[in-house]
Amino acid sequence: MGLDRRAFLGLVAGGAIGTLCTPIPWKLVDDAAIWTQNWSWLPKLPKGQIDYVTTTSKLCPAGEGLRVMRVAGQPVTASGNPDHPLSQGGVSALARSEVYMLYSPARIKSPMKKSGGRFEPITWEQATAELAERLGTAKGSVACVSGDATGTVNEVLSAFVGQLGSAGYFLMPSDATTAARGVKLMGGAGQAGYDFENAATVLVLGADIFETWGTSTRNRKAFAASRPVGQAPKTTYIYVGPLRNNTAAVCDQWIPAGSADLGVVALGIAWHLIKAGATSPAPGFEAFKAMVTGSFGPEDVRLATGIAPDTLAAVAKTLAGSKAPLVVTGSPFGQGLGAGPFIAGMALNLLLGRINRPGGVYALPELAAAVPGALGRAAMLDGDLPGFFSGVAAGKTPAPKALLVYDANPAYGLPETAAMTKALEMIPFKVSFASFWDETAAMCDLILPNSLPLERYDDLATPYGAGFCLYSLVKPLQKPVHDTRTTADVILAVAKKMRLALGYDTFEQVLRAKVATLAKAGGFVAKDVMPWQVAAGSPAPAPAGDLWKELQAGYAWTMVGQVMQTGLGFVPGVLAKAVRPVATPTEARAALLVAYAQLRTGTAVTGVPCQDLTTVPETELDGRTTCLRVNAATAKKLGLRDGATVTLTGAGGRCQAKVCFFESVINGVVAVPLGFGHTAFDHFSRGKGANSLSLMPLAEEPGTGLSTWIASEVTIA
Amino acid sequence: MEERKSHAAGGVGSFVLWTLIGFVGALVVGWVVFPKLLYSRREQPIRFSHTVHAAQGLDCVQCHHLGPDGRFAGLPTTESCAECHGEETGEDSPAGREIDRLVKDYVKTGAQIPWLIYQFQPDNVFFSHAAHKGFPCSQCHPDVAAMDSPPPYFENRLTGYSKDTMKMWQCERCHAAMGESNACYVCHK
Repeated sequence: MGLDRRAFLGLVAGGAIGTLCTPIPWKLVDDAAIWTQNWSWLPKLPKGQIDYVTTTSKLCPAGEGLRVMRVAGQPVTASGNPDHPLSQGGVSALARSEVYMLYSPARIKSPMKKSGGRFEPITWEQATAELAERLGTAKGSVACVSGDATGTVNEVLSAFVGQLGSAGYFLMPSDATTAARGVKLMGGAGQAGYDFENAATVLVLGADIFETWGTSTRNRKAFAASRPVGQAPKTTYIYVGPLRNNTAAVCDQWIPAGSADLGVVALGIAWHLIKAGATSPAPGFEAFKAMVTGSFGPEDVRLATGIAPDTLAAVAKTLAGSKAPLVVTGSPFGQGLGAGPFIAGMALNLLLGRINRPGGVYALPELAAAVPGALGRAAMLDGDLPGFFSGVAAGKTPAPKALLVYDANPAYGLPETAAMTKALEMIPFKVSFASFWDETAAMCDLILPNSLPLERYDDLATPYGAGFCLYSLVKPLQKPVHDTRTTADVILAVAKKMRLALGYDTFEQVLRAKVATLAKAGGFVAKDVMPWQVAAGSPAPAPAGDLWKELQAGYAWTMVGQVMQTGLGFVPGVLAKAVRPVATPTEARAALLVAYAQLRTGTAVTGVPCQDLTTVPETELDGRTTCLRVNAATAKKLGLRDGATVTLTGAGGRCQAKVCFFESVINGVVAVPLGFGHTAFDHFSRGKGANSLSLMPLAEEPGTGLSTWIASEVTIA
Repeated sequence: MEERKSHAAGGVGSFVLWTLIGFVGALVVGWVVFPKLLYSRREQPIRFSHTVHAAQGLDCVQCHHLGPDGRFAGLPTTESCAECHGEETGEDSPAGREIDRLVKDYVKTGAQIPWLIYQFQPDNVFFSHAAHKGFPCSQCHPDVAAMDSPPPYFENRLTGYSKDTMKMWQCERCHAAMGESNACYVCHK
């Protein structure tokens, strides 16, 4: 009965057979297969009560209303709010990413202080004490850069900087700054607003209206509404520009023209309109007429732009014959365009009698300020940040003692990046309120991270491009994921500590006061009737009883109104200097550089949203190299072959790129995408491609004094 | 010769006996010991009595309802519980102490109760309760309606899933029996 060898074999055999009759092998194999799928880094779906809440996108320049789905109180995905006039159910790739970016590895998780060249986390009490102390010593020379062109936070910041002794308040350059300078030079008032919904013919000069320019989501909705599927289009869209971009691709006609020639094209069309009898009572018309007929005849324009006289004659005829023509001018990449081309485009609107008319350009009034001592939007837009930094870098302008950077990334998002970085280095104390580790934050001495829009109160007031006044609320949908705070609240607290009177304790109080001013201004909440319907003649609904409540519910306050223009006129003196043909590069290996921007690659302050990175094709970013788009004819002239890696050298710097043949680029031009080449953020953005802005040199536009970087020449080797 | 015979006879008997011992031992280990090792036993964070609540006249769907878009809203939130249990009772009974713990730990703090879900499906499964609305709940879930205490929850130590998580073959068998599609995309989007 002892356990001898044979008995042992029997025990093992019996055990083996018995085991096969139990769940052990089968269950273990099954569970092991499941276990291999349970990696700790795999995201888990939250489970719980599902609800939908509304807010407004602040990361996306198009300012869409958002409808956010939450599970157990946690936002999980965002879509467009169908009730919001800037969204109408649509949403951009960037706005959609707002939820996911809450958990971006690039987020700054707590206040940080630079010490010995490295950042160390500090408490909010330490951070605000340090800020108050350092700003106290910098009094009289504090500047601020803001990348938020639509928020009431600018009132808080500008009033704060004003009381400290301002050395300048600047918004990051955009089409809004260009348009503001243009309207001012023309003797006008108000913010240019474009009524796409009521326009019958839209001539787009350069502006990528369906991708990055203005209220792009709303622009797309207006375009789609006038062109129902299966029916004859009710509108005509014509695009003039150097690339067949997302806008040109869907327009009825694409007229290839260099981005530096947009002003010439506009004045060339004006020549045909004037010859056909167009006239205007606006000041300066006769001198304008003389200038256009003298210098911008069909042959002059053909020589400068290569556009056949018949083409522009046909465009002029289409505009003149349309019941509601509209001309929109902007930069193909959202910045760097001079005021000259904008004024030339607006001159067409004047000639066509389209100012303050349905389907035309409205001069929108500015909303009343809530914070005493705050700068108005026109004053903020008047600043020229690249020009200021350029002066500081060259030693022509004294560097401020302190700089506050809010929602902006000037170390990355400005042209001639090396010079801009040098200017930043010359400022002894820099404070960043960034939410993400961007290039500017990395250069700052103190970082007080702002909560993201889904975690804070904020607002959006009449973004550039909107055809009506608009106000929309941003409200917190969850507690901050990290140890961050709303910057406006931090500034109000620091102001109190420094005994500066801003009149409010919290930003929510500021916003409530702002909303109270809107209620007094009139207007209505866009629900059943949209503002463009009111502009077209529908009766405006009655003002809301409790506007704050309506805004909290995700509706937008709107107002159809315009600033009466008494001095808006043609400014031939300015145009004669600012609008000139650009010389074609003479060097054999040289070409004009054209950039293009897309919301899927984010903005300078967001970096590339990781969820959108997979949508970037290899014809834009191949591995870690940016792709340069060039047509075959230009490539042959430059001696380039498809797929080759080349070095681009511009006045602002140099970078590498891979040649990609693309026939949707005009002759003599190479096109590069913006949004790449980050040296900061996370591994989704860092080290991918090159920052095309760094190649572009800054130039002062004759006649307007505005800094431009629309016409950059590069050599390719 | 005798010795060899004897050895052969005793050896067969011993072999068979030890084989049986091994067989039975493996069965015991496989059916009794193994499950205890594989699954950890856990209790629900709050001893919720379905019978008490059913006796109050509450319908199942008042707490376990489909969302307006057909999604299953799952379990009630703490806020839902707080509609009736907003304050501590101070009662010194087992039920009173349990209610007071609910109020103190969850209602007052605003935290959600981490209920353990017996049929928790992995994230790669898209299960629509709206599409299975016609079946009685207890066809897939434990029939808790008649229970005064929730049954224990057994968690698989290897996979992390509940012991009662429905396996794919069970879904497929029912689909086949009902004449429904078993195509991958029906459940895996």
